[in-house]
Amino acid sequence: MGVTKKPDLADPVLRAKLAKGMGHNYYGEPAWPNDLLYMFPVVILGTFAGCIGLAILQPSAIGEPANPFATPLEILPEWYFFPTFNLLRTIPNKLLGVLSMAAVPAGLLTVPFIENINKFQNPFRRPVASTVFIVGVTTAVWLGIGATLPIDKAITLGLF
Amino acid sequence: MNSWMSFVSRSMFTAVGCFMMLLNTASAEAYPIFAQQNYPEPREATGRIVCANCHLAQKPVDLETPQAVLPNSVFEAVVKIPYDQQVKQVLANGKKGGLNVGAVLILPEGFEIAPPEKLSTEVAEKVKGIYFQPYSPERKNIVVVGPLPGKKYNEMTFPILAPDPATDSSVHYLNYPIYLGGNRGRGQVYPDGKKSNNNLYNASGGGVVRSITTKESGEREVLIETKDSANVVDIIPPGPTVVVKQGQSIKEGDALTNNPNVGGFGQAETEIILQNPARVQGLIVFLAFTTIGQVFLVIKKKQFEKVQLVEMNF
Repeated sequence: MGVTKKPDLADPVLRAKLAKGMGHNYYGEPAWPNDLLYMFPVVILGTFAGCIGLAILQPSAIGEPANPFATPLEILPEWYFFPTFNLLRTIPNKLLGVLSMAAVPAGLLTVPFIENINKFQNPFRRPVASTVFIVGVTTAVWLGIGATLPIDKAITLGLF
Repeated sequence: MNSWMSFVSRSMFTAVGCFMMLLNTASAEAYPIFAQQNYPEPREATGRIVCANCHLAQKPVDLETPQAVLPNSVFEAVVKIPYDQQVKQVLANGKKGGLNVGAVLILPEGFEIAPPEKLSTEVAEKVKGIYFQPYSPERKNIVVVGPLPGKKYNEMTFPILAPDPATDSSVHYLNYPIYLGGNRGRGQVYPDGKKSNNNLYNASGGGVVRSITTKESGEREVLIETKDSANVVDIIPPGPTVVVKQGQSIKEGDALTNNPNVGGFGQAETEIILQNPARVQGLIVFLAFTTIGQVFLVIKKKQFEKVQLVEMNF
């Protein structure tokens, strides 16, 4: 380990902050200059190298010229729309499909109000919220993968 | 007597069938010509390759190319058209035979099939003597192959020559798409819309099947008596098996035959990068400098930490 500052517990200001669950920047490795001056440039250079390497070795493809009168055989939205796109195309009733799309942001809107019912931060102490989260994410990923497959495998993923 | 007759006729049929098969592979069935005659571009604006207009069933194909190629170099594009080698298809004369394969490879502008003198012996061996035909005189970057016997050619190697942007100003160092259409088996529809004998035949009128007669040529005539006592005759070429029976009542559009098609057409696409060697060299130098820079920063930090610890100032 490098340089580590110990918390000065004689300092009443720090004690008050720690009591509130804050003040963690008062001890540990100093930000300046150890982190900001020396480690940040390492990371920045690494990011540059990664981006430039990708730009040279795998430039993005120039697609076909846009033509609003020729719909491609397989339409697919941006990747972050895959789950809702799959909902829309597998639900036979169009109104239900659109409502299911609208339900996603509507459900997310309720999170800030429901979240604080339980005061714990630890996910294991909030089993209902954690379960809802895991089930939701799994469903979204599942539907997202299904969106890239032909329509008859959209829900089953061809697994069963 | 009867069995002897059937033996003779069967062996004669086999002999004739073999002869016809030879004929078939030699001439006829030059089906890419249909696309070449009817479409200036084999790929429609929707991304559909026009072979799918005649080869109706969908089957998978696979295309393998290098990730990137250098200018003026020869590389291999491997086309795989997988199918069950045991399966037989209906030939033009109604007999059963092996499947043919064919492919169209739509290369980026400027890319061409490599001339034979540029091929290494190793690559030339992999090509197995396939004749690559340009789609049209002005579209040399689109290559048509087939029909070829599928047993030998269900995996084809296309030797491709990458263009050089230094000599050809219309080409640039970019990431290009390559489109493939691959087919096995005969087509179901002719370009004029007529069904081939590799297709399902439907009743052109509803009513009762009065008779099914087989002509010497192998053609079947299905006579249907409609409700208003008119007669409709459906002619079925040799190939598909008739599934209706005499006296059976059918509706208009009902299937008179099975669907004998076993083949199918598939599309695939991939990307290839025309890479400038100078860019790769530059990148290697840049990455080396970056790594050295990172290492020196970490060393400097370690040095400064020692100063901090000695001065107890942090």
